[in-house]
Amino acid sequence: MIRKIAWHRRYDEKRELWIGWWTLVVFYNLYGLLFFVIARTQPPPPPSLEPSEIVQWFADRRSGLLYGYAIISIVGGATAIMNATLAYTMRRMSVSRAFAYSYLVIYALATLPGMLIMGVVCTVGAMRPDRDPALMSWLYDFAFLSFEGTMGVFLIGSLIWMGAVLLDRNRVFPKWFGYLNLCNALTEVVVAPAWIYKRGVFAWDGVIAWWINMAVFVTYTTVFLTLLRKMIMREDSGTGPLPELDPDRAPEPGGTLEAAR
Amino acid sequence: MTTVEANVLPRAGGSDERAAASGRAGGVRFVPGQPDMWAFVLFEALVFTSYFTVYVIRRTQSPDLFLQSQAHLDLRVGVFNTLILLVSSWSVARCVQAVREGSFRAALIDAYLTMLFGFVFMVSKVREWATEVGHGFSFTTDEFFSFYYFLTAIHFLHLLIGFVVLGVAIHHIGSSAERSPELVETCATYWHTIDFLWVLIFALLYVMR
Repeated sequence: MIRKIAWHRRYDEKRELWIGWWTLVVFYNLYGLLFFVIARTQPPPPPSLEPSEIVQWFADRRSGLLYGYAIISIVGGATAIMNATLAYTMRRMSVSRAFAYSYLVIYALATLPGMLIMGVVCTVGAMRPDRDPALMSWLYDFAFLSFEGTMGVFLIGSLIWMGAVLLDRNRVFPKWFGYLNLCNALTEVVVAPAWIYKRGVFAWDGVIAWWINMAVFVTYTTVFLTLLRKMIMREDSGTGPLPELDPDRAPEPGGTLEAAR
Repeated sequence: MTTVEANVLPRAGGSDERAAASGRAGGVRFVPGQPDMWAFVLFEALVFTSYFTVYVIRRTQSPDLFLQSQAHLDLRVGVFNTLILLVSSWSVARCVQAVREGSFRAALIDAYLTMLFGFVFMVSKVREWATEVGHGFSFTTDEFFSFYYFLTAIHFLHLLIGFVVLGVAIHHIGSSAERSPELVETCATYWHTIDFLWVLIFALLYVMR
């Protein structure tokens, strides 16, 4: 393992891209662990909880919220590297740079409500669980509605990526990935009723607003991580069409430079 | 040769590569249009199937409520909308056929006709929503109407995207550059998907008892 890393550090011309890709992989796994297992804020609890139940909800996961979001506050900055790596794919395409710049700006904004504000608000609730239940209810709604509020950002972000992929002539990603972006964008729209409903399939914990949406998002994320890995393998640091990968001649990471040649 | 050069092949530029990219093997195409669009159709079908499954499950849990609310929908409007979209699918199929035959003027007329039928559907749907809201049935009235507005609205969104897709087809047919049927077939595939989804939505919301 150490030998492989040393090989990449010394010889791999694409090491910065690989750092970006691994940041994405590690971050998404960490995100799942922290939100689903440690803080236990996902899957989201029902929006219909009474104030006394909300106080209990904060009390039940006090340590998880405090420790979980402390880690999130440390690693949250990694989103800059992740977004830059994704924006790089658009810079490598034949399309206008406006796509990459728009994508960077919109996802930089998404980090605030989608992760940091939710984390801060949940931490505020968990820090002093003896607060007035009405205040705790306020924090609870603010935290989860803030999280829901990022869906519009993901919608536009997916459409930007879709436009870039479909217009690109450099074959950075297959066209079907452009259409998959559209699918993902359309499922983000479905989250909008969560602002209206307190219970049922359209509420923020509902089958349609959360579960189906999450299934699509996990599929989408897995697909783009796989395609991004392949794209980095094909990258030639040029400006024209991206070459296809030759499976017979791809070097084994950690092999010698001579072997790769 | 550098390491990077050793890893890769020259860009796909020959006819074989182009054929592979467009879903052809040995000159035989697997599907009309780009296979990529069919991936979209498959994925959308899966997502909508999950919505329909949730609808049917919720319906079986409150059959009386769904039946009572369903009775407030005008079946004639639903049938009209379905026929309009079926006719639009017919005209877009004619458009594809015309492009294949090289009759670009006829293809343009069929593409504009498809757009017109889509527009009629859009106006009819908005009028239907306005009528239902006027009768006091809004998005939050009950669970049936939540599903009614949700499913018809998400379909409506697909229709709006469909106008952009038809616009791409019209631009392609009308351009002076080489006009391959593949792009028009791809656009038509998207339009047929709108029709296909509507038929299912119509059956579930208006017809199923």
